[in-house]
Amino acid sequence: MTERADTSDLSAEKSLALIEEQRGRVGRDLEPNAVLLFGAWGLAWLIGFAGIYAADRGWAGLSELVAGLLFFALLMTALVVTAVQVVRSARGVRGVSSEIGAMYGWSWLLGFGCLFAINAGLARQDGGLTDEQWALFGPAGALLVVGLVYLGGGAMWRDRVQYRLGVWILATDAVSVFAGVPGNYLVLALAGGGGFLAAAAWFTVQRRRAVPA
Amino acid sequence: MTTVPELDPVIHAQARLRVMTSLAALAEGDRIAFPRLQQVLDMTAGNLSTHLRKLEDAGYLEITKTHERRTPVTYLGLTRQGRRAFEDYTAALRTLLAGSGNGQ
Repeated sequence: MTERADTSDLSAEKSLALIEEQRGRVGRDLEPNAVLLFGAWGLAWLIGFAGIYAADRGWAGLSELVAGLLFFALLMTALVVTAVQVVRSARGVRGVSSEIGAMYGWSWLLGFGCLFAINAGLARQDGGLTDEQWALFGPAGALLVVGLVYLGGGAMWRDRVQYRLGVWILATDAVSVFAGVPGNYLVLALAGGGGFLAAAAWFTVQRRRAVPA
Repeated sequence: MTTVPELDPVIHAQARLRVMTSLAALAEGDRIAFPRLQQVLDMTAGNLSTHLRKLEDAGYLEITKTHERRTPVTYLGLTRQGRRAFEDYTAALRTLLAGSGNGQ
């Protein structure tokens, strides 16, 4: 009837500390870095839409082409950051979460694929949309997809931050259309990009708390 | 004196506790490849194998051997019993700490 556990040099405090430390490490290794993800998309939206707004207002001699290319480059960077994070975190793990991840990944592709078809179909119409209508609907359609996928992801992973961000994006999206051109760009830059950056900031605080120095 | 909860000796050792914590952090039904687990734990392959064997003997570990591009890969995950044992272990730890907390 000896207490075998008591003969170990591992105290209960030490054990619990060890569990917390290892949990933090697993979290950092096996989950995408949320700060990097939300930060990259937040900056892309903030700077990208601000650039388009500035070009529309004719500020600092910024041409629409340059602003468009800048936005494209920022979006591609955020996409690469996301892909690297997702691939890195999923490496060597298989099972339920890989299946969920694949379905989630496809929902982005299918959503944007459908939007692309809608845009192409509208453009084919006689007369199509006016430049101003495109300027409103182009970003608004994309953000509708983004917001809805965030709601889905938040619900699936029970991630309240992600879900709230989805709600925020949808609200921002709706407001942006009523702001008109070029006000919509400003709304999307500040409220949209700002929403992502707020999420990134929140995850930064969480990480600091989870990782005792 | 209240009875002191017994800590599962299979789990209550630094290396195995870290292994169990890592595997319990996976989603239920997920499996992790041996080299990936090794990386997360920063342990040598030999050392990790020794501890994995003990966990497997206790019925806590499910080991699947498979091939990926003709290379043999070993996937590891907790059994239901293993997940339960880890939960019981952490619950026992909390009880122990709650009991000793008053005397500090």
